[in-house]
Amino acid sequence: MNISEGMKKLLYIDLNRKASSELAVDPRLEENFVGGKGYGARILYDLLPAGCDPLAPENLLMFLAGPLTATLAPATRGCVVTKSPLTGTFADSYFGGHFAQEIRYCGYGGIIIAGRAEQPSYIWIDDGTVEIRPADQIWGLDTFATVEKIGRIAGSESVKTACIGPAGENMVSYALINCEYNRHAGRAGTGAVMGSKNLKAVVLRGSETVSPANPEAFMAAVDRAYAELADSEDVKNFNIDGTPASIDFANAEQLLPAYNYFDGSFEGAAGLNSEAQRRQFWLRNVACAGCPIACGKVGLIRRGRRKGLISDVVEYETAAMMGSNLGLSDVREVAYLVKKCDALGLDGMSAGGVAGFAIEAFQKGLITAAETEGKALQFGDSESVDYLLDLIASRRGLGDLLARGVKEAARELGDGAADFAVHIKGLESPAWGPRSVPGMALALATADRGGCHQRAFPILYEVGGEWDGKMVERSALEGKGIIVAHLQNYLAALDTLVKCDFAQYGITGETYCQMLEAALGRPFDTTRLMALGERIWNQVRLFNLREGFTRADDSLPKRFSEEPLPEGPYQGEKISGADLDRLLDDYYTARGWDSAGRPAGETLARLGLDQLTTLVRAPDIE
Amino acid sequence: MKYLRGEFDLCTGCEACLLVCSNRAAGGYNPRLARLKVFRENENLINRPLVCTQCENPFCMHSCPVSAISRAEKTGVVLIDKEKCISCGSCIKACPDQMIRWDKDGKADKCDLCAGNPLCVQYCVPGALKLVKKREVPGK
Repeated sequence: MNISEGMKKLLYIDLNRKASSELAVDPRLEENFVGGKGYGARILYDLLPAGCDPLAPENLLMFLAGPLTATLAPATRGCVVTKSPLTGTFADSYFGGHFAQEIRYCGYGGIIIAGRAEQPSYIWIDDGTVEIRPADQIWGLDTFATVEKIGRIAGSESVKTACIGPAGENMVSYALINCEYNRHAGRAGTGAVMGSKNLKAVVLRGSETVSPANPEAFMAAVDRAYAELADSEDVKNFNIDGTPASIDFANAEQLLPAYNYFDGSFEGAAGLNSEAQRRQFWLRNVACAGCPIACGKVGLIRRGRRKGLISDVVEYETAAMMGSNLGLSDVREVAYLVKKCDALGLDGMSAGGVAGFAIEAFQKGLITAAETEGKALQFGDSESVDYLLDLIASRRGLGDLLARGVKEAARELGDGAADFAVHIKGLESPAWGPRSVPGMALALATADRGGCHQRAFPILYEVGGEWDGKMVERSALEGKGIIVAHLQNYLAALDTLVKCDFAQYGITGETYCQMLEAALGRPFDTTRLMALGERIWNQVRLFNLREGFTRADDSLPKRFSEEPLPEGPYQGEKISGADLDRLLDDYYTARGWDSAGRPAGETLARLGLDQLTTLVRAPDIE
Repeated sequence: MKYLRGEFDLCTGCEACLLVCSNRAAGGYNPRLARLKVFRENENLINRPLVCTQCENPFCMHSCPVSAISRAEKTGVVLIDKEKCISCGSCIKACPDQMIRWDKDGKADKCDLCAGNPLCVQYCVPGALKLVKKREVPGK
């Protein structure tokens, strides 16, 4: 099937009615929002009632592909879009693996799931056949067992599965969706939304082909992308060392969270980095569909009490959040804990943030041994974390409080707990402590789904990069707004394709445009790409504003704004409230937003967002 | 005489081989329609490519009732004559590695080594797929 045609066909499944229907996409949606994040931004805005409870049946759970997904274009992915139960914002969470590709091979550009099944169910899509089946045999299983069991039920190992674990079933606010293996829509609680729909899994098998409009031009552009990846030093590093290579960098630059973000460097960092991981368990490189980078490194732990455990690379984010942030320096223990998160269906990043918060709360006496069955919660103790993960996924005792994330848990605990609850808009911060990098602080404060480093990563400019031909000064506040806005726009545009974060270090914007142009058969250039990204960013902002978010929510946790880095080369650095105000003023101006962070009329008009009346309507399903 | 070999220790499971192959074999991308396979084992600890090795003793060729399958003399590649194929499925049943598939016209279809320069090898960045020389077998 022609790519453009496929992207105009969405599958809409209503679990209330146990029925599904094809949703023909308004050509303006495809033209103006392209796919992936763009589709999600507009569909959520058009279909979700304002103020909708994220765990109510009315919320939508969308699995979205893009026009380059499932082709030979190197390193493409898919995304889950929904309203987050953790933040209440728009949430987009990206996953690698092979699941998004299979959506396209089933003939769809995406799957929209509404309603709530009466009983635990899973969705089985076999080309044109859509069935909602009882999930008796898989409900309660962890994600690994679920995938295995589904393979047996389907009688085929080659089906592609997205599923939740016990944490998703129990609607833990930061439950993930597993897209086998070791690939997840990890952040912002997409798995809780899936659990709220009584939906254990979505299983796909498709035999439709995906064909670019102009195959020759497409191959030429793909070959260019392959060459650019091969030439990139960054990409080479991802291939050799994977993401944990960043441990050493972050540690040296004091960006690495340690002890619930108390510090920016960690004495045990060498136990977590790529070298340590290679020594302890790596065997070979693993890649997502069509990806020559292969940042995954799977292997078997060779020594010690975790001997024999199969683990994929412990990514930088989880190595930091479940490792240094909890005072753990043995990567074998961290690998065990991260795999446990994967099996239970918990986002390892948020889980690390929550565990760090809980341990500090215990130290400060806000959580006592009476609530931990006599167990002392300590940094540097993997048993403490192991214990907490079980509590959280099952929501047993203290776990019920911690299952709501640090923001809600701090609110409940009171007594100054909010002072060390490290989140932005409710999303536990990623592993890039921003106290010495104001641009990154701004990026975190303004990320659409809450504290996220993937919407813009200005650190790379702040530690010695150039912007517009000039060296960027690390500690400067001035000039950071435009950088963050530009990066957010660019990445939002590429998230429609759907790109991989690491591929874009090698593949240029021009080449992405050439691939897209050949895929869709209509002109596309970087000017359009940037306008697309800006349109999407503003569309999401409109959604979040409608949900009640204001400038006051573009904020930083107290740990970053009031507690300076305690030691090291960047000792004393923090981003004060006044600093953040200056950064935000600068950023809002660069965006064409008013001082309250609302897109100005002319901005919306320039992006064509003032005239687009409802583009998406739910199909009538009998 | 050359044939394809797949190495599990180098394969990353990216399936770029399946994508390029399917595009040539089926006129569009879909790994299921490729003329080779990649299996995942043990929580994805292993990705194992499975390829047509242009057997010394091709069951597919022997089992064809209308002699539509033959070995090219010069290259040694086992080829299907689509004009002669009667779509009986005997070869598909005969190949234990399931290296023969139905094409969109309902004819048997298999790896032809892309006339000597296989796309799967060209796009295998980790070098897990190789075109190697076949040892001479005495008496053949």
